[in-house]
Amino acid sequence: MLVTIEIDGKKVQARSGAMVIEAADELGIRIPRFCYHKKLSIAANCRMCLVEVEKAAKPLPACATPVTEGMRIFTKSRKALDAQKAVMEFLLINHPLDCPICDQGGECELQDVAMGYGRDVSRFAEKKRVVKDKNLGPLISTDMTRCIHCTRCVRFGEEIAGLRELGATGRGEHMEIGTYIEKAVQHELSGNVIDLCPVGALTNKPFRFSARAWEMRQFPTIAAHDCVGSNLNAHIGKNKVLRMVPRDNELVNETWISDRDRFGFEGVNSDDRLRVPMIKQNGQWKETDWTSALDFVATGLGKIASTSGVSEIGALCSPSSTVEEMYLLQRFIRGLGSGHVDHRLRQTDFSDQDAAPLYPSLGQSIEHLETVDAALVIGADIRRQQPLLAHRLRMAALDGANVMFLGSVGSTYQFPVAANVVVDPRCLTNELAGVAKALLKQASVNPPAGFAESAKAVQVSADHEAIAKALKGARNATVLLGTDAIHHPDLSTLRSLASLIAQLTDAKLGYMTEGANAAGAWLAGMVPHRGPSGSKGAPAGSPISEMLRQALKAYVLLGVEPDKDCGDVRAAMKAMRDANFVVALTAYQSPSLEQVAHVMLPVAPFTETSGTFVNAEGRWQSFAGAVAPQGDARPAWKVLRVLGNVMHIDGFEFMSSEEVRDELRTRVGNAHPDNKTRWHPPRPFVSVPQGFTRVTLVAPHSVDAIVRRSDALQQTTDAPTFAALVSDETARELSVREGQMVAMAQGGNEITMPVRLDARVPRGCVLVYAGQPGAEHLDPSATLTVRGI
Amino acid sequence: MRKVVNYFRSLLLWELFCGLALTGKYLFARKITVQYPDEKTPMSNRFRGLHALRRYPNGEERCIACKLCEAVCPALAITIESEQRADGTRRTTRYDIDLTKCIFCGFCEESCPVDSIVETRVFEYHGEQRGDLYMTKDKLLAVGDKFEKQIAEDRARDARYR
Amino acid sequence: MSAQMQATGVALINDASRADIDRWVAKYPAEQKQSAVMAALRIVQDQNGGWLTNELMDAVADYLEMPKIAVYEVATFYSMYELEPVGRHKICVCTNISCLLCGSDDVVKHLEGKLGIKMGETTKDRRFTLKEVECLGACCGAPMMQIGNSYFENLTAQKIDDIIGKLD
Repeated sequence: MLVTIEIDGKKVQARSGAMVIEAADELGIRIPRFCYHKKLSIAANCRMCLVEVEKAAKPLPACATPVTEGMRIFTKSRKALDAQKAVMEFLLINHPLDCPICDQGGECELQDVAMGYGRDVSRFAEKKRVVKDKNLGPLISTDMTRCIHCTRCVRFGEEIAGLRELGATGRGEHMEIGTYIEKAVQHELSGNVIDLCPVGALTNKPFRFSARAWEMRQFPTIAAHDCVGSNLNAHIGKNKVLRMVPRDNELVNETWISDRDRFGFEGVNSDDRLRVPMIKQNGQWKETDWTSALDFVATGLGKIASTSGVSEIGALCSPSSTVEEMYLLQRFIRGLGSGHVDHRLRQTDFSDQDAAPLYPSLGQSIEHLETVDAALVIGADIRRQQPLLAHRLRMAALDGANVMFLGSVGSTYQFPVAANVVVDPRCLTNELAGVAKALLKQASVNPPAGFAESAKAVQVSADHEAIAKALKGARNATVLLGTDAIHHPDLSTLRSLASLIAQLTDAKLGYMTEGANAAGAWLAGMVPHRGPSGSKGAPAGSPISEMLRQALKAYVLLGVEPDKDCGDVRAAMKAMRDANFVVALTAYQSPSLEQVAHVMLPVAPFTETSGTFVNAEGRWQSFAGAVAPQGDARPAWKVLRVLGNVMHIDGFEFMSSEEVRDELRTRVGNAHPDNKTRWHPPRPFVSVPQGFTRVTLVAPHSVDAIVRRSDALQQTTDAPTFAALVSDETARELSVREGQMVAMAQGGNEITMPVRLDARVPRGCVLVYAGQPGAEHLDPSATLTVRGI
Repeated sequence: MRKVVNYFRSLLLWELFCGLALTGKYLFARKITVQYPDEKTPMSNRFRGLHALRRYPNGEERCIACKLCEAVCPALAITIESEQRADGTRRTTRYDIDLTKCIFCGFCEESCPVDSIVETRVFEYHGEQRGDLYMTKDKLLAVGDKFEKQIAEDRARDARYR
Repeated sequence: MSAQMQATGVALINDASRADIDRWVAKYPAEQKQSAVMAALRIVQDQNGGWLTNELMDAVADYLEMPKIAVYEVATFYSMYELEPVGRHKICVCTNISCLLCGSDDVVKHLEGKLGIKMGETTKDRRFTLKEVECLGACCGAPMMQIGNSYFENLTAQKIDDIIGKLD
């Protein structure tokens, strides 16, 4: 329903129930405000937005006054301005005059509004108050004396993060914002309070004092650490990315970004950056120029091709490479005559890859996640892996949706969770089969071929019944396979079962992939069995597991650190070490590459190259380089293009990354993936053998080479630790205490680590973060013996 | 008629005598030539000469790296880089003024919230090679240390007008 | 009471207090247990000898299933909750306008002199705490003060001495 109101003489139609400030914003009339924020609830405690309303005795706060038919509002009348100026004077009473040393200076809402509504001279002669700063952890720095008590951060914590950590304690002049008992604010979206704070009370800690708002330039870019593809603005000063801030996009990230997207970029300014091409000669690394480095690569690969055959050349790339890079890399390798290309570095089960969809997609828009009635998330630590998808699901859950989790890491969620089944990773398929069995029973549908026999031993628990019922009862359900599920040794069964469950409940099946561009990788043909846009890949090649097992003679690595990025680190390092020729296109001079590579070509990370990421919902988001590449580094697509020329391969005449993208885009057209896979009868589900299992988790702040080099993120509690994480119960069974050492043995290898208690780990399991030294010896799919020392 | 007057004036060298009269007047007037550099003219306390960075009496540099001078400088002669010092304060790691770009407008001085960057009365300076007139933070602080007494006096005299 | 509750410190609240809090909780709709926070804080404060520890506030938060910070907000907002140890008798003197006009300054001066402490302090023997409070709604009997749960009105030096003398 619409009502007609008049603001400053302009007649406008506004939604009934909308607040005056919303109507004014739509009309482009700016009313000053501090506490009002379009994504947060209304507090009306700053009083800055007071406006005059006809027939109202006193000025009314525009943010908390609903529009009514025939309302006449004056935002710039004498009465309104007097009220606003008076409020401004009160706000400035206790605000320190330290703008020159305040990081918010130049982009401060209080400063801006004070220019318009403040007096030039203060009448306040008394002492200003001083508030002690709080320690809110390594990401947010505080100057609480500057706080004007708008409570945006408090409301953010309560409404968006779902974790009420900040609060307003005390009263009147003694009111303070803080955590009362100081503790680091632990939430994966906590950095957003920096943007929300209208003054300089909460500022960006790693960025502290490094630049002024006016000396930086802003370039739009896309986040490169998860499959959401949050829209960012990179702020550049002195040809360096100094900080990342969110760019509004209602369809993707609204106005929020995860801490990983905000602070992860720090890695691009790391001292580890490779700045010149380097080749290894007689075991010594030598700096060289691009021409000789590329010649070295061409000669090396040519030699392998002529002596051992082209099928001895394989290529691996990070799932966070751009579409252009992947398209050219696979064209390069396929142009040489080999089909060994892959980006699925941590995946282990490739048995049903032919049945996989065109690309692993969310199966729905990100926005749509907010409207589901039921969601079953399989194998995902979604809060840490895709924080903004978790946020959407939280919104759905607060609306009454049944959000259910089935996985091996029992994270806590800040919303009502209908079920959170945490099991030994080896039991995951059994549990999912249980849900399927319960569903088949409830729906009285004949099970698909082979299911009844395979699932004979599967017990249907109350949890399974409940999950099945919630999914069945929902009009708008979704089943999501998370990153851990995709890395699961029995992905094909999980996929098959999930598809069956989705089919039975009429739910949308979706994938939440690793990296920023797994979807783009499938589309670009960076998989061995399919070419670009899902065409028949010719020549066909082997997936990564085979490629490493076969021990090829030559590997081309794009953005891969084999000891950190691969699922099977042991196999990867062995294969690379044994190879005759390893070419690394890398932004970093990492120790593992120095060990195994023969040539390192410095390529630009996402901030320094143009490119495109395709996010989980299939949205193509292109971006330009925000800064010039450091040193002699070059965008990887240019390097690959020249490599193609040097080796005389056809189809490398691109002049810009846009041309590369457009060519692929034309080939892909409007193809949309159908995530439903054909049913294939699973192996019989057997009960899991006795003994411990390792749960592997890629820590949220070690997902890619850039994030791993972000100092600020590595200081947070989400940073990976060198420890064996077990639950209280398991620790009691092992009779070990926190901090004590345990020895974990498997297949003749034994490694020792200190114990840390973590309630997220299922019973009988030990969580060891991926990439920890020694962790490569613990195969997640086999039994482990653990003893306390 | 005017033609006739002009004719007689030029004939009688009227303008020459007018000029000589002026010369004669100054021949006997008090001399005001200043024998620079032995003598100097009086100088305003607001004189805008060589820049200096000041310190507080306890030796702590005043500059807090707010970068207002850098922003206001119309000649883009100032370059500042800042960071958090170990004690948590905001400080410059670099503060350069390129005197060959500077137009001595005094805006930097005016914009400074802590009276750190100032223009001294010093105008007799020179550079013998390229880069001598590129003032770094150390050079600027040295100038400040050297002339602090004069600088402080000048600011004090001007205080009531500010 | 579940094992989880035990672990989170709810055990700090003794049975009598818990029964008392439950009586307050019962007055509000089941999903709005937090409405009883003020009563609960008062009850545990009495249980603890007149002041609240962080652990007790956490216990109240867990018991009423509300965020801890929300309990801290309430406890720090109202002046009747003490976050530091207080004496056996908390003497709250009103210094708001009515009492001020009727001579609360003299009351304050007399009390300070008699007890040898300043406003906001506690005597060394932990018997008395002096506290300045805002209007307690007894303006008709100004100047007034509150000790424990009792109001004492129309104060004079003599009357104050009598009252203090009767306390242990």
